[in-house]
Amino acid sequence: MNLVAIKSAIDALSAPTISFTILTVIFPFIFPPSDWFEKIHRKSGLWRTWTKSGCIIGMVLITAFFVIGYFDPYFNKTLTKADNFPIVLMIYSMWFLIWLGMYKAYRNDARIEQGLKPEEYNDPDDKVLVWPDLVYIEFICLILFQVFLIVWSILVAAPIEEPANPAATPNPSKAPWYFLGLQEMLVYYDPWIAGVLLPTFIIVGLMAIPYMDINKKGDGYYSFKERRVGIFIFMYGWVVLWLFLIIIGTFFRGPNWNFFGPFEYWDTHKVEALTNVNLSEILWVKWLSQGMPSNILVRESLGFVLTGLYLFVLPVILAKTVLKDMYEAYGPTRFVSLMTFGLVMLALPIKMYLRWIFNLQYIIAIPEWFFNI
Amino acid sequence: MFKNDERYWDINLLNKWFAISSIVFLIVLVWIFIDDNDDEFKDYQREFRKMQIEITKNKLDEEQGLVEDVSEDYELALARAVKLFDDKSEQIKKINSELGELRAGYYKINLKYKSQKAEIDVLKFELESANLKGGNESELVRKEYGEKSLVFGEVKLEKEEFEIKISRLEKQIKALKSEVKAAQDERDRVLKKVDLAQNKLNLLDRSEMSFMNKIGDIVRDLPILDFMDPYYKVKQTVVKDVLYDVNFAAMPAVDRCTSCHLGIANPDFKDAEQPYTTHPDLDLYLTSKSPHPEESFGCTSCHSGRSRGTSFLSSAHTPNTPEQKKQWKEKYDWKPVKHWLQPMLPTRYTQASCFKCHQNTSDLAGAEKINLGLTLIDRSGCNGCHVSANWESKGKSGPDLRKLNEKSHPEWVAKWIKNPRAFRYNTRMPHVFEQANQEKPNVAKRNVTEIASITHYLFEGKEVKNSKNPSKYLGDPSNGEKLFSAVGCMGCHVKEQDPSLAPQTTTFKELTKLQGPNLIGMGSKVTPEWLFNWLKKPHEYMPSTRMPDLRLSDSDARDITAYLYDNKNYDFDQLDAPEADNEVLDELTLDWLMKMNPEKYAIEKASKMSKDEKMSFVGEKSIRHYGCYGCHNIDGFMDAKPIGVEITQEGSKPVDKFDFGLYHDIPHTIHDWIENKLRTPRIYDRGKESEPLDLLRMPNFHFTEEEIEAVTMAVLSFNTDKVGESLLAHNKVPDYNKEGHRLVKKYNCQGCHLIENRGGQLVEQIGAPEYGPPNLHSQGRKTNPNWLIKFFNNPMTVRPNLQVRMPSFHQIDDKEWDTIIKYFQSIDDENTGYRAPHQFASSSSKFKAGEKVHELGACNNCHFYGTEFPTQVASTWAPNLALTKERLNPEWVIDWLREPQAIMPGTKMPAPYLPTPDVLETDDAVDTWGRDLVKLKGNQEAMLEGLRDYMWNIKGKVDISAEIKEYFDENGYDFSDGSEEYDDEDDWDDEDW
Repeated sequence: MNLVAIKSAIDALSAPTISFTILTVIFPFIFPPSDWFEKIHRKSGLWRTWTKSGCIIGMVLITAFFVIGYFDPYFNKTLTKADNFPIVLMIYSMWFLIWLGMYKAYRNDARIEQGLKPEEYNDPDDKVLVWPDLVYIEFICLILFQVFLIVWSILVAAPIEEPANPAATPNPSKAPWYFLGLQEMLVYYDPWIAGVLLPTFIIVGLMAIPYMDINKKGDGYYSFKERRVGIFIFMYGWVVLWLFLIIIGTFFRGPNWNFFGPFEYWDTHKVEALTNVNLSEILWVKWLSQGMPSNILVRESLGFVLTGLYLFVLPVILAKTVLKDMYEAYGPTRFVSLMTFGLVMLALPIKMYLRWIFNLQYIIAIPEWFFNI
Repeated sequence: MFKNDERYWDINLLNKWFAISSIVFLIVLVWIFIDDNDDEFKDYQREFRKMQIEITKNKLDEEQGLVEDVSEDYELALARAVKLFDDKSEQIKKINSELGELRAGYYKINLKYKSQKAEIDVLKFELESANLKGGNESELVRKEYGEKSLVFGEVKLEKEEFEIKISRLEKQIKALKSEVKAAQDERDRVLKKVDLAQNKLNLLDRSEMSFMNKIGDIVRDLPILDFMDPYYKVKQTVVKDVLYDVNFAAMPAVDRCTSCHLGIANPDFKDAEQPYTTHPDLDLYLTSKSPHPEESFGCTSCHSGRSRGTSFLSSAHTPNTPEQKKQWKEKYDWKPVKHWLQPMLPTRYTQASCFKCHQNTSDLAGAEKINLGLTLIDRSGCNGCHVSANWESKGKSGPDLRKLNEKSHPEWVAKWIKNPRAFRYNTRMPHVFEQANQEKPNVAKRNVTEIASITHYLFEGKEVKNSKNPSKYLGDPSNGEKLFSAVGCMGCHVKEQDPSLAPQTTTFKELTKLQGPNLIGMGSKVTPEWLFNWLKKPHEYMPSTRMPDLRLSDSDARDITAYLYDNKNYDFDQLDAPEADNEVLDELTLDWLMKMNPEKYAIEKASKMSKDEKMSFVGEKSIRHYGCYGCHNIDGFMDAKPIGVEITQEGSKPVDKFDFGLYHDIPHTIHDWIENKLRTPRIYDRGKESEPLDLLRMPNFHFTEEEIEAVTMAVLSFNTDKVGESLLAHNKVPDYNKEGHRLVKKYNCQGCHLIENRGGQLVEQIGAPEYGPPNLHSQGRKTNPNWLIKFFNNPMTVRPNLQVRMPSFHQIDDKEWDTIIKYFQSIDDENTGYRAPHQFASSSSKFKAGEKVHELGACNNCHFYGTEFPTQVASTWAPNLALTKERLNPEWVIDWLREPQAIMPGTKMPAPYLPTPDVLETDDAVDTWGRDLVKLKGNQEAMLEGLRDYMWNIKGKVDISAEIKEYFDENGYDFSDGSEEYDDEDDWDDEDW
């Protein structure tokens, strides 16, 4: 297969619509949250991802991608930009660390299935010596990390650009890598939501996890099976909704925040048709063929209704039906918190698809009050 | 210590890792030091040091060679003196020991002296206190005081004894040493230069250093220790008056170029290669005596670039040619510094930096390229579309089209607009049509109709004046040809059919020949009536024209008209004139209407327009679209605004604001953009699918490569570089100098005259400076401004035998004349104050002496005295001396009489004979020379003054233009009236023998 064809395929596949969808669909098969997924996970051999050979294959695939990319004139520009070196590190380290955790979890799960105790059980549970076991290791890591930083700083110059000029904005104007996920969210959400509300929910949600979690199992030792729903939800939120959006923001977004495949030339003249409509416009103008009502609340009524249903009615329905056991196990407070965080997190991919499929801009659009969802 | 089984991790493994990581860390630390201290500039400095050692060694050898013979003698003398001194060593030892004893004694007595003095002071105080108290206590104190004073006096004497003795002995020793010192001084004097060279070498060359110095030389450059006094260091100049704009602040430039360019101000390195080579023209740049000393200007004020860089790449060097770029890529792995917005100017564009300090001139000595660029901007009329606030044009560069119907006819005009160079190969009018982005058939068709409509607009409502009675205006073409080359037309015009013989615009002089158009093809273009009237009174047709009135007689004008009209351009006449196609005209009309109206209304409006109305409409829109009024005055467009981008700060525009178009074959630098734009103005439309009315419009001036470089240089010089007030040269030159200079350029005075030693091509064409327009050197000091302005407004004949004449520039108003006069005066440092009429006494001795000198000079041979003609033939005639008192300034006349050739090289005026003192002292001097002249005793100044005063007294008619004209009308200008053509061969005929 010739290289150009492979590259074009990767370019096409990496469009957010396609790559995000593929990732979302495959995800439950990689971190199976239920038995049904588990069965397919086993049958398809995906479980081998979490073996030693799986790690090596993953590393090789990542390295192959970067090597091909290095020799491509366009991807080379993005890849060798000094700012993007941390992302490369991130991809390798995240892959390894996730793999490591899952590997240990699978080993423990295998042991538990056999009726054995998890590996950590044999760890001394009364004490571990600070010196040398804790501090010596830390010290060696410190030295090695110092070496790494020094070598990095000698070899790569600091990526300083022109003096800041208020009249000349760089194109594309990208946030630091740790905010690129949020910048990508900004495509779909109003700045108040994507920049204030969602980050707040992320932080508060992460803080709330220990308080919401009632699963006594998997505590102090790696295990996937014993915590699979929680792990799946967290992994989805972290790997797909955070890390993957950073990768999109670094490598797949170019001038004017247009999408460009990794091997595509960043043409500043590229134009894409992105005419979006609000839900109120769809309702009143498209379906009812009327003008927009002048009263704001009337105008956005459908949006309010749907949002209300999603956030307030849906949990209640779920509590009474599908998630009845869960409601009873967690209790009302925890259940409500879980629902709030979970539904808000799900709102992001939902909105992304509404945008991609229906060109939907805002569900509630009240620019007069700076309130858009 | 700890038992292994208590540990969680294997301690031996950890130890191994610790060891490995520590060693790696150590290596990396050493790497830090190496990376920090291994600077590129140090390599260059080491190389330079070697070169310096080489040069100094050569100098040393040279100096030693020079003093070879004598140095030995002086060394011997010194050795002798030293030996003598050594022989006296016993004596000296004795003196020294005596001196030692005396010094000890002195020390002792001095202590005593000091303590006694203190006591006396105390007593004095007590005495004075007692005086105040009154009573007889003071008596006692007084007594004690007196006694003590006596004792003190003796001690003082003793001390002084010692001092005298010591001083005497010291003098003795000094005398003994003096011989040695003298011999040493002699030797040093002779060997001074050698010693200097040797010292220099000792500082440079490690092999010549003493052991301690060698150690020091190594230690001073070690890492960390090199904070004290390194040899190899960054050399920088903080240039406080040259500022970098970093948007929120302005930082002084810190030029570190000399860290590598070490020989830049040192003439010894003229032949070295870069980066050590000397800067060209050290008298003009870098040295402290030059007008651009390095401390005030640095390097980046002229060359731009990243001043704080200390390596070849980080200083943002730019290659000058594609070959050099390739070379640099190979040798240094060169790439541009991506985020530095002011890369170094390629060497060929260095003169672009002159403008920011020398803003008021396009005649800067040593900056020929930018002079050409700024001049071309004026001539080509760039300001007509592209405003540049600090280089504004004076008026529009093309002719006034408001009365075009009187001059030419629509067919010619339409063909001309379509392709000017089909008519005149070196016209200044650029090509608006038939350009690269107008090749598509629909666009080309639209263009043809647009041209026809524009022509229609220009002639609308005006009757085309066809020649009714051409012969009335046509005279003798052969006489016309003679007049054309004699009367002064060629100061501004050529009439050259052959492109290879036409003036090339590479020098200023050649450019002056092209002030006006190349006068070929007039027979196809204009009517004889128009041409005749134009020659007689240009400003009646076009008030803003720069063409002056040559005061031609009717018959002369007819002759010249015939001569010019005789030349027709047959090829051009055969071309078909562009005509409006009805369909295309409709399309154009609709397109324009739809810009302001919805399509439905546009169609309605268009359907009501007749063809004529459509053509007028489209014509007007097209003129506004293509910006014709930028160069031409056109009815209805007198207030229209220029259509182009303002280029006041073009040189500082961020590169990403330039539209390089869709193709990627042009490097993204400002100068490449401008060069390509000038060469092919529509180039950035390549590949674009633009609507016809969105196509690029800049016309093609067909610049040569040299002109492109010059204009690019000028545009690069329009920038926002900030320079401190003290460096701005144009602040030191008064405004009227700038204005006057530009007026002189505008009216092409230098096409005929040499002014500030530039121009004067007409003089070369005529062949002899005495028959051509005069050199205006020292004109400011020379002429009385009151006369001069009268002359400008109504030129009189000054030099009687010139056929070329000073034209009448009716269009220049008094204010502008005044500016020109002030300009002349200021370049001669002549203050412009009031000048009282020159006073002299005609009865004075000096005057009478002058009269005698005048008699000796036989001035009447060549000069006119009022209406009295000179005695010699017309070819030698000189100005009317009765005019002198009105026209010239008295001090200048003295300089002129003293040495005419210095003021006007090539003049036929001889310096008048002034008798020298020895001639005036002979016995018959009084009889020969007259008493008054003898009295002056050969004082040159006084004699000249007397002569000058005599001239001031000459009476007669001042303006003899009429008499001169009458003579030459009758006799013509052919200066071969036999008496001066003395042909030797005529005398010796074979038949005579």
